[in-house]
Amino acid sequence: MAAVLAPPDDEPVLQLEDVVKTYVMGSEEIHALSGVSVSIEENEYVAIMGPSGSGKSTLMNIIGCLDVPTSGRYSLGGEMVDDKSEAELADIRNRMIGFIFQTFNLIPRADILHNVELPLIYGGVGRAERKARAMSALDRVGLANRVSHKPNELSGGQRQRVAIARALVFDPQIILADEPTGNLDSRTGAEIMQMLDELHANGQTIIIVTHEDDIAAHASRSILLRDGKIETDTINPNPVRSAAAGG
Amino acid sequence: MRALVDIRESLNIAVSAIWANKARGVLTTLGIVIGIVAVTTTMTAFNGMQSAFRQSAAAVGADVVYVSRMPWIIMGNWWEFRNRPNLNMDEAEALREAFEGEAIVNPTMDTRQDLKYRSEIMEGVTVIGTTEKLPIVTSRLPETGRFLMTYDVSYKKNVVVIGTTVAEGLFGTTSPINKEMNIGPAKFRVIGVMEKQGGNTFGGPDFDRQVFIPISTYVKVYGGRHFGDVDIAVKAPSPDAVEDLEYEVIGEMRKIRKLRPAEDNDFSINKLDSLMGAFNSVVGVVLLVGLLVTSIALFVGGIGVMNIMFVSVTERTREIGIRKAIGARRHSILLQFLLESAIICLIGGLIGIGLATLVTFGINASGMMPASVSPGILVTSVVIAMVVGVFAGFVPAWKGARLDPIEALRYE
Ligand SMILES: Nc1ncnc2c1ncn2[C@@H]1O[C@H](COP(=O)(O)OP(=O)(O)OP(=O)(O)O)[C@@H](O)[C@H]1O
Ligand SMILES: [Mg+2]
Repeated sequence: MAAVLAPPDDEPVLQLEDVVKTYVMGSEEIHALSGVSVSIEENEYVAIMGPSGSGKSTLMNIIGCLDVPTSGRYSLGGEMVDDKSEAELADIRNRMIGFIFQTFNLIPRADILHNVELPLIYGGVGRAERKARAMSALDRVGLANRVSHKPNELSGGQRQRVAIARALVFDPQIILADEPTGNLDSRTGAEIMQMLDELHANGQTIIIVTHEDDIAAHASRSILLRDGKIETDTINPNPVRSAAAGG
Repeated sequence: MRALVDIRESLNIAVSAIWANKARGVLTTLGIVIGIVAVTTTMTAFNGMQSAFRQSAAAVGADVVYVSRMPWIIMGNWWEFRNRPNLNMDEAEALREAFEGEAIVNPTMDTRQDLKYRSEIMEGVTVIGTTEKLPIVTSRLPETGRFLMTYDVSYKKNVVVIGTTVAEGLFGTTSPINKEMNIGPAKFRVIGVMEKQGGNTFGGPDFDRQVFIPISTYVKVYGGRHFGDVDIAVKAPSPDAVEDLEYEVIGEMRKIRKLRPAEDNDFSINKLDSLMGAFNSVVGVVLLVGLLVTSIALFVGGIGVMNIMFVSVTERTREIGIRKAIGARRHSILLQFLLESAIICLIGGLIGIGLATLVTFGINASGMMPASVSPGILVTSVVIAMVVGVFAGFVPAWKGARLDPIEALRYE
């Protein structure tokens, strides 16, 4: 599916034009995003930074098709997202996008193998193939020996690795990570960044929200949001790479 | 393939969610259990009465018209019928002649007598005086020995065919055939034992506690040729002909009784339909009460399940957000919660049919009315339980399915 939706090389994998997101709270209007235009190419590694409340998560949610803009246009993989149905958006989230959250967002009752299998389940992948792919994803994040554990039996770093395995299991084009290291100590955070670097080296497009400069230093491009607007959009010519990750 | 994977996952979630909240689930099913017990018991009672009715219908005969002094089921003022003359043997004979070659006419008279064989005594047994035609009219046959024959009637023989209850009561395990027994003042020789009829029809006669003797002998021993109360059965040549036959019988009877056109019939015509009316009114009450209790219980139970499902959806708001974020469609979430409430109700339904089966045995044992369980009834009850589950779960499940993924993820 990713292959079908892959845009021609000269076209950006995603493009936002004048995207506005306004929340109405009683009589008050909150402009979480007030006119964001950005386009991101395939296999870019982008960091989104900015003060708290500047609209980073809002932007990520719109990119990840979890939320829809109040106005503006958004195209993903060469297709307009604005007029897609609920079910189509669910399929995009399922196959094109891998989401990594600050709070991990694993399902507490399910063991980690099942957590990683979930996207494949909703994608209709049969049992045998599903188990095999989930196992190999868990293997990639170094948790193949913990498959039957429940999330609450794991450390924060391990939980985030499960979440990464879940995000990459369907081999999505785009990985979105909203402060993936926010709840972790710096050493564990570095491990997580190493995995994201590997995914990038693997050809995936990475977009990561962070407050920390040394995390953002892994990205090749850095977008600074302020009050729902892009303040700066800069190229980082020398991104940091974790030792183990090539590139 | 996709749908299948989806259903399996939803089932998985539903089962583990119920398992995680066992105590709550059990309490929730209580209302459903009561409702299912009510609906199942209603159906088993209905079923039992229906088969009892079918039995007596066979004994009465669907194609037989009975002429009697009184209607079987008296509607209105009983006093109106008080002054009617009895039907007597002469009238029965006249009716037989009128229908000669057209329909079979069989008179019967009955009384209660004490039976005695050696030292065994049975009190107040129904003694029926009839002819050899009774088996043709009612399709009841002897199990051993033979029924009355023409010459028994012609020669006023003191022979008797007895019901199974009588056979057991008087003779125990020895064969009654050719034994001499007393029926009231006279001695009779047993020539046959009837087939067991079973099942006492809701307050109706016990067909196994009867004995049959020739009607001529009956008149000879107990009297009543000119005043005894005779019932006359007229069997139609085919079930379709019953209606016409009824009019002909009324016409002939009026002729025999020399009624003027303005006069009302001073006799009654009874048929299976009259029993049907009584059956329907009894069944109607049972069904009405059953339906009322059932619908109240299922409604209350359904509301309980709906409540719990709202709790379940709210508790798992965040989980719904996660599932949606990684690609679950609305219908997957909907299915997950619908299955949960359907399974809760399924469990309630299974407990309910178990209890209802016990209740049914209880009803039978108490002799209040006949009731019987059938696989069809049990399956129907379980299906009803699951339908209630789906209905009760729908609004909460819909609420869960429609949740906005962002808001659901943000829910604490
Ligand atoms: N559902 C909502 N209803 C009302 N206001 C909202 C909602 N979601 C976000 N906002 C507002 O929109 C603005 C942007 O929020 P957003 O979560 O995108 O910020 P952020 O840059 O991710 O902040 P942080 O770094 O703290 O995570 C904030 O002012 C926030 O209060
Ligand atoms: Mg945020």
